[in-house]
Amino acid sequence: MYAYIMRRLLLLIPVLFGVSVFIFVIMRIVPGDVAMTILGTDATPESLAQLRKDFGLDLPIYQQYIQWITGVLTGDFGESMRTGKEVLPDILSRFKLTFELTLISAVISWIIAIPLGVIAAVRRNTRTDFGVRIISLLGVSVPNFALATVLILVLALFFSYSPPVGYVGFFEDPVKNLQIMILPSIVLGTAMAGAVMRMTRSSILEILRQDFIRTIRAKGAKERVVIFQHALRNAMIPILTIIGMQIGTLLGGTVIIEQIFSLPGLGQLVLTAITQRDFTVVQGAVLFIAFVFVMINLLVDIIYSYLDPRITYK
Amino acid sequence: MNPVLEIKNLSIDLHADRKKFNVINNVNLTINKKQKYGIVGESGSGKSLTSLSIMNLLPAPLNIREGKILFEESKDLTKLPNKEMLKVRGNDISMIFQEPMTALDPLYPIEHQIMEVLRFHGTYSRKQMKELAIEMLEKVGISRPKQLMAEYPHQLSGGMRQRIMIAIALICNPKLLIADEPTTALDVTIQAQILDLMSDLTENYDTSILMITHDLGVIAETCERVAVMYSGEIVEETTVENLFSNPTHPYTIGLLESVKSLGDRTRDLYSIPGTVPTPKQLTGGCRFASRCPYATAICREQAPPLFSVGTDHQSRCWLYGKEEVING
Repeated sequence: MYAYIMRRLLLLIPVLFGVSVFIFVIMRIVPGDVAMTILGTDATPESLAQLRKDFGLDLPIYQQYIQWITGVLTGDFGESMRTGKEVLPDILSRFKLTFELTLISAVISWIIAIPLGVIAAVRRNTRTDFGVRIISLLGVSVPNFALATVLILVLALFFSYSPPVGYVGFFEDPVKNLQIMILPSIVLGTAMAGAVMRMTRSSILEILRQDFIRTIRAKGAKERVVIFQHALRNAMIPILTIIGMQIGTLLGGTVIIEQIFSLPGLGQLVLTAITQRDFTVVQGAVLFIAFVFVMINLLVDIIYSYLDPRITYK
Repeated sequence: MNPVLEIKNLSIDLHADRKKFNVINNVNLTINKKQKYGIVGESGSGKSLTSLSIMNLLPAPLNIREGKILFEESKDLTKLPNKEMLKVRGNDISMIFQEPMTALDPLYPIEHQIMEVLRFHGTYSRKQMKELAIEMLEKVGISRPKQLMAEYPHQLSGGMRQRIMIAIALICNPKLLIADEPTTALDVTIQAQILDLMSDLTENYDTSILMITHDLGVIAETCERVAVMYSGEIVEETTVENLFSNPTHPYTIGLLESVKSLGDRTRDLYSIPGTVPTPKQLTGGCRFASRCPYATAICREQAPPLFSVGTDHQSRCWLYGKEEVING
């Protein structure tokens, strides 16, 4: 197991190298650069050239890359070309918010999805099942921004409630922080719940057809034991796969939800950086997101082996 | 003789496409205390359904239309409330299945799967359960029970898993053990060991066996009494000696022929032409008529009842139509 984890971590090197080259090249192929966005359209060619020289953008692309990547390898992600702030601390502070948002959303989605998915599978083809399937379809197909807007409107109009403005970290003021985070988490959580619910239902149905379920029933097990101790645990692998992918995606930032609820998360950082052609920020953030995604996948694989003794890694 | 289990006029229907199809028709059988009873038949003959109906574990589209399943002369298992039925399953009546490879939950160690039954049916401490489980594993011939407790099903061979299934089935000392093709999926060399083990253990525990198989060899080796099933009906019912020395139903004769020819190299392997009709194909007459070499007009029109064809011997065939009718 230990050797396997080490090997997976070594695999990170080629993956992150690929990602870094890719994003570096892409940013320089896209028309427009940071000098133009800073100086505006009526800048003289001389001042543009001067600014590019200051940023080192006049060097050949491979030299630019080597400069950047050697910095990254020593932990120096450079400074934002727009704000002059250091890139890595900025990413990390925003990741804290995105991480919390993802965590709360995921927990909300599990609380909704797994029990409902189980109920739907157990009561297959009854009204309950159809009800759950409709809810999950809605969860998957209603766009986030629509649900978010409706939620804000309903709360404001009928309950005269609006979440506090301005982000506060959890450790500074937990109550206020949760008040800010709960609405976007509900929106993201219901969307995630749709997919998890469907997977839970179909996966449990699949397991309930297996021979060993008949054995457990023949032993005299109560339905509760059959479902929760045996069927659900066996059904967890595909459910976990979906959850892992959802979390990986959310940790990369949720642009629309962050915009609507004006949360300074990772998604907002990347979006702004792209529109301003803030090369160092985009590159740093993308590299960081790729790293997080790979780590989540590794984590999911490790959980698999704890869940299922047949899965071993050498 | 005290019967452990009596099945009376059991009929099971399959509900599909808003229609009903009969899959088990009017099955009667009695298993006495310590008796080893066999049901033999091809796939699709309804032998496994009969056994699942005893456990009240029929899958959803199948329903008992009529009949009783009496356990120890008093409890009708078809009418038992679910809560009571849970106490019967695994405790009074337990079951071993065909596929030891898939019959155990892959995610739990053997220990959990054996001790689970004890937890369902008694109040033991963890330590007691562990001791009982290890003791039981020794009885089913496992040489290193302590290590095996912590192992998972995928680490064991088919024979080992079937031994564990037997341990699970017998640990609560049931009155009846239903074995549904317990050796079919095993190597020939292991088959005899498993059958011997089942016979020995049930002997010690005073447990009756209902052995369900397609293999007449298994019946000959383990059973005292036998019912031959064909297309959801019992076509012949008698002692094992009678069945082998004096088979009466053309289907039984066909089954025996197809085994006998194995020892005789001068003949080709005999096989009964055709296949078991599906419930949707059934017409009014004898269910075996389409494959029977002796079929006459009456066979195609009227379903035969069970006729008495000798002491303790019944056969569902018009060839014996002059004899007394046992039941419809």
